[in-house]
Amino acid sequence: MSETPNSMMSTPSGRTPGRTPRPGEVPVPGQPKAMVYICGECHQENEIRARDPIRCRECGCRIMYKKRTKRMVVFDAR
Amino acid sequence: MELRPHNFKMDNTKHDLTKPISDLKEKWLLLPEFLKVKGLVKQHIDSFNYFINVDIKKIVEANKKVLSDADPNWYLEYLDIHVGQPDVEESFTVTRAVTPHECRLRDMTYSAPITVDIQYTRGQQRVIRKGLAIGRMPIMLRSSNCVLNGKNAAEFAKMNECPYDPGGYFVCKGVEKVILIQEQISKNRMIVERDRKNLVSCSVHSSTHEKKTRVIVIQKKGNFYVQQNALNEDMPVCVVFKAMGIESDQAIMQLIGTDENLMSLFAPSIEECQKLEIFTQLQASRYIGSKIRRQRGSWGFVRRSRTDEAREWLATTLLAHVPVIDWNYYSKAVYLSLMIRRVILTQLGQLEVDDRDYYGNKRMELAGGLVSLLFEDLFKRFNTELKKIADLTIPKPRAAQFDIVRHMRQDLITLSLNNAISTGNWVVKRFKMERKGVTQVLSRLSYISALGMMTRVNSQFEKTRKVSGPRSLQPSQWGMLCPSDTPEGEACGLVKNLALMTHITVDVEEEPTKRLLFNLGVEDVYMLSGEEIHSLEGYMVFLNGNVIGVTCDPENLVYTLRLMRRHGYLNDFISVCTNRAHRTVYISSDGGRLCRPYIIVKKSKPLVTSEHIEELKRGMRSFEDFLRGGLVEFLDVNEENDCNIALDESLINHKTTHLEIEPFTLLGVCAGLIPYPHHNQSPRNTYQCAMGKQAMGTIGYNQQQRIDTLMYLLVYPQAPLVKSRTIELINFEKLPAGQNAIIAVMSYSGYDIEDALVLNKASVDRGYGRCLVYRNQRCILKRYANQSFDRVMGPALDADTKKPIWRHEALDADGIVMPGMRVQNKQVLVNKSCPLQTSVINKEQPPQYQDTPSSYRGPIPSMIEKVLVSSNNEESFLVKMLLRQTRRPELGDKFSSRHGQKGVTGLIAQQEDMPFNDQGICPDVIMNPHGYPSRMTVGKLLELLGSKAGAVEAKFHYGTAFGGDNVEVLSKVLSDHGFNYLGKDCLTSGITGESLEAYIYHGPVYYQKLKHMVVDKMHARARGPRAVLTRQPTEGRSKDGGLRLGEMERDCLIGYGASMLLLERLMISSDQFEVDVCGKCGLLGYDKWCQLCKSSKEVATLKIPYACKLLFQELTSMNIIPRLKLKPYNEV
Repeated sequence: MSETPNSMMSTPSGRTPGRTPRPGEVPVPGQPKAMVYICGECHQENEIRARDPIRCRECGCRIMYKKRTKRMVVFDAR
Repeated sequence: MELRPHNFKMDNTKHDLTKPISDLKEKWLLLPEFLKVKGLVKQHIDSFNYFINVDIKKIVEANKKVLSDADPNWYLEYLDIHVGQPDVEESFTVTRAVTPHECRLRDMTYSAPITVDIQYTRGQQRVIRKGLAIGRMPIMLRSSNCVLNGKNAAEFAKMNECPYDPGGYFVCKGVEKVILIQEQISKNRMIVERDRKNLVSCSVHSSTHEKKTRVIVIQKKGNFYVQQNALNEDMPVCVVFKAMGIESDQAIMQLIGTDENLMSLFAPSIEECQKLEIFTQLQASRYIGSKIRRQRGSWGFVRRSRTDEAREWLATTLLAHVPVIDWNYYSKAVYLSLMIRRVILTQLGQLEVDDRDYYGNKRMELAGGLVSLLFEDLFKRFNTELKKIADLTIPKPRAAQFDIVRHMRQDLITLSLNNAISTGNWVVKRFKMERKGVTQVLSRLSYISALGMMTRVNSQFEKTRKVSGPRSLQPSQWGMLCPSDTPEGEACGLVKNLALMTHITVDVEEEPTKRLLFNLGVEDVYMLSGEEIHSLEGYMVFLNGNVIGVTCDPENLVYTLRLMRRHGYLNDFISVCTNRAHRTVYISSDGGRLCRPYIIVKKSKPLVTSEHIEELKRGMRSFEDFLRGGLVEFLDVNEENDCNIALDESLINHKTTHLEIEPFTLLGVCAGLIPYPHHNQSPRNTYQCAMGKQAMGTIGYNQQQRIDTLMYLLVYPQAPLVKSRTIELINFEKLPAGQNAIIAVMSYSGYDIEDALVLNKASVDRGYGRCLVYRNQRCILKRYANQSFDRVMGPALDADTKKPIWRHEALDADGIVMPGMRVQNKQVLVNKSCPLQTSVINKEQPPQYQDTPSSYRGPIPSMIEKVLVSSNNEESFLVKMLLRQTRRPELGDKFSSRHGQKGVTGLIAQQEDMPFNDQGICPDVIMNPHGYPSRMTVGKLLELLGSKAGAVEAKFHYGTAFGGDNVEVLSKVLSDHGFNYLGKDCLTSGITGESLEAYIYHGPVYYQKLKHMVVDKMHARARGPRAVLTRQPTEGRSKDGGLRLGEMERDCLIGYGASMLLLERLMISSDQFEVDVCGKCGLLGYDKWCQLCKSSKEVATLKIPYACKLLFQELTSMNIIPRLKLKPYNEV
């Protein structure tokens, strides 16, 4: 059972117990991929891997923000 | 705060200018100065500061020694205690200062370490340890230990904090919590009351750090008794007197008073004592001892003799607040006799009963006091715990020496304090105190709601009791509590708000005042006999409810005390007042009294002159200088009764002692927003006070930095065109909540009935009423005992297209949504999965995971504003997402003006169809004129006039309570600019193009958008989820529930006889269920078989509600058998 985009499985609640269909699921491989986060204090970009302590290398701040999406976002002006 | 000289002069007409300028036109300028040092939220901060810097040391001083039964040589002594600066543990021993905003974002508690200096014995050594942490204290924002203390606006901005944020709350686990002000009856004061049987009694709540007791003197069959919880039965007062060492009946009588009437009423009590054959102190003690309730379950306690117990009771329990020094009960006896005297005099009609609702008899309990209560209990528990450990460990032979420091753990105090503040449950077992709802989450709907919450006063009364006394407006609350700001409904009159200038006192040291009193010629009560105490020329002197002595010249005493206070020799907040009926001078220095500043008037002239104000304007004087200079003083409710206070200068006469600073300060923060409130019907002001807290707008300069559970913001907030002094004082202009809409008061289209508003579509397009709704969603990744952890996975890909599946479309490679994405219902925000095994360590298999994604729920998609990734002490990984919706006003959204005139949008009309005037001005909002006559909100009419005048001449007008620009001035402005002087316009209909027949009242009015919006409320369902137990549709919008056909609706259908409709609504569309019923035994069968009758002969199938079947089964399980009797339907 493959889930195509926009076909919503109607389950009673938002949280489905059990697994979501896994055919195409690409688990993040064994070595965690580094992601770039922005420090809340000094705005320095930090590469943090999964399960690394969250801490800015520059200022030691523990609040990080995710970078904005690179995808195009369209707003309808209303 | 800015001190702009206000343009009163500009507003004045020529007529006013010819008059000599009054000296004190600008005395209101004292107000911003006052608010710098006192008032609004400062009482919270002052009280907490007092606790943290003074009271906590006193508590430790009182409980400084810990001894052990096991070793007489062992001891632990606290030398000092200190509350530090808020910090956070960075790694094991390293700490770092923390800002409140970081705590909010990372869900931490803003707390500081409590450190003690101790001296104790380790083996044979005596050791001194300094700076030993015993726990953490949550720190109130802006208190003396807060990092925000003494910082300027730029530094605030650096710490992501709003400079206009009031502070005075705690940040506990990332949630802002306020400890509400609690109102209660004064402690340690006599209250004379009349009960239902018309008998008079006098009660005293004594409260000291050690004990809280209650004593009542009652009358029963003409005799006087003392009632107390520790006694089995009511105790004759004469016995108590004798036990206190006053054995002769004459002395007792003299203490009470030797007036003929008094003697005749008290005589039976003396006689009763005779009958009991109690003549000596010993006999009396024995008698009392026999009536004392023995405490059960006290382990290993040495049984004391009866007399000892009586002595103990007299000294510590009876009237605990009256000091007993060296077992000398005299002052206690005097106090008790006075209680009896009051009862008799009230009975005789010479005194009035006390009013419980009078604010002089009330005290406000603030954050500092409440936390101190809790801390004292915790500290005592901490010490008993240490003692227990010492008792257990010392006797054991051990290699290492016993070191108590190793057993001092931080978590007891830390956890209990955090827990109390975050749940609001205040439990102090020692005082049998169990209070719920002491703290509340600070409401951040708008700036005003947050400020309003800080001034809220909660009363301890039960909400269900139907008494009007505590709920009604008390004359003594003038200027102290806002007369308008109270909720409607069950808490009406019980929840109140402080007025603008109210200050709540903190405790002031008694001893110096006492010494001063003796120096001023007060004769010590210990030296005086009853006859002298009650002599006709003497006035008794009370200090905080305790008898100090007697003075022969009360006028002089009161005058001197006040003089000394004005010159700063006495604390500003010590109140002195004479009660002529009681023939007493009451002096109070206790905390929790309501007070407010007044200008002192001497010889019919206010001491504050225009020179002083001029100096104030130039910044050469502060409020403190006014206080020190004896120009302004604080009066509490009791002292106000001794004064003649003029409302303004013109009312000063030779009797006047004080002058009001500004009368509008009698209103609170919320009522202060209303322009011209003195022209409105009073309930309208009350409604606005409730609605101002729901208005959307701005909540603080740091609103974009906050990640709150719910935050409503206006896209284009505006400062009101008609403002008031209060608005300026509380900086509402800088953080406004509303917009100046041009309204036309006219009828339009019929979609405006019942207060509905017609909005201009073009205005809506331009951004009128547009708002942002922010919600947050959080997700925690945990680590478990068996080294497994929650994991986050990247988006799952579709097998064919190799693109992320729809649900995971918004996810980034790390499995967390990207900011800037639009998410729809059921799309995943964090693709989390939890390990199935969390306790057992299984090395062979890789752990199994179960998907537990955090997904978006809601019919309307949201944008992801920002995603925060962090960690804190409890959770190793914390994701907080901020979701945004931008909403334009739609049909059914709620708006309100500042006069309790709320309405929903009834129609959004095209601008072409809207009426317009000769300048082409077209209203944003059309309001139905029927809203005015019955509501009588003249203030709104005036506001429109003021706004219009302000708009045409490009300035703000004032609508301050009991002042503000008057109609003549405003009309003049309008006519000068070519407008109708009544504010009316000639409008042309946009539909027909004809001029409207009437002139339309038309101009700007400040409108608030309230948080109630249709999108959050609309709900419909045909089919949907059902409850598991009853199989009936679920309840509530959040659970996609059904719409209930309730009892009353059912009654209507019954009355109409619509039986089939009823059957359909209540069964078929709800929880229809087919059951098999045995016609013989009437019980439920199964599969066409009756298990009881072992037959299927008479089993019938019928449809009943599932809930009904459930009821039958539940009854059966309780040994009640419901049997169904069946009949063919055609035989009924």
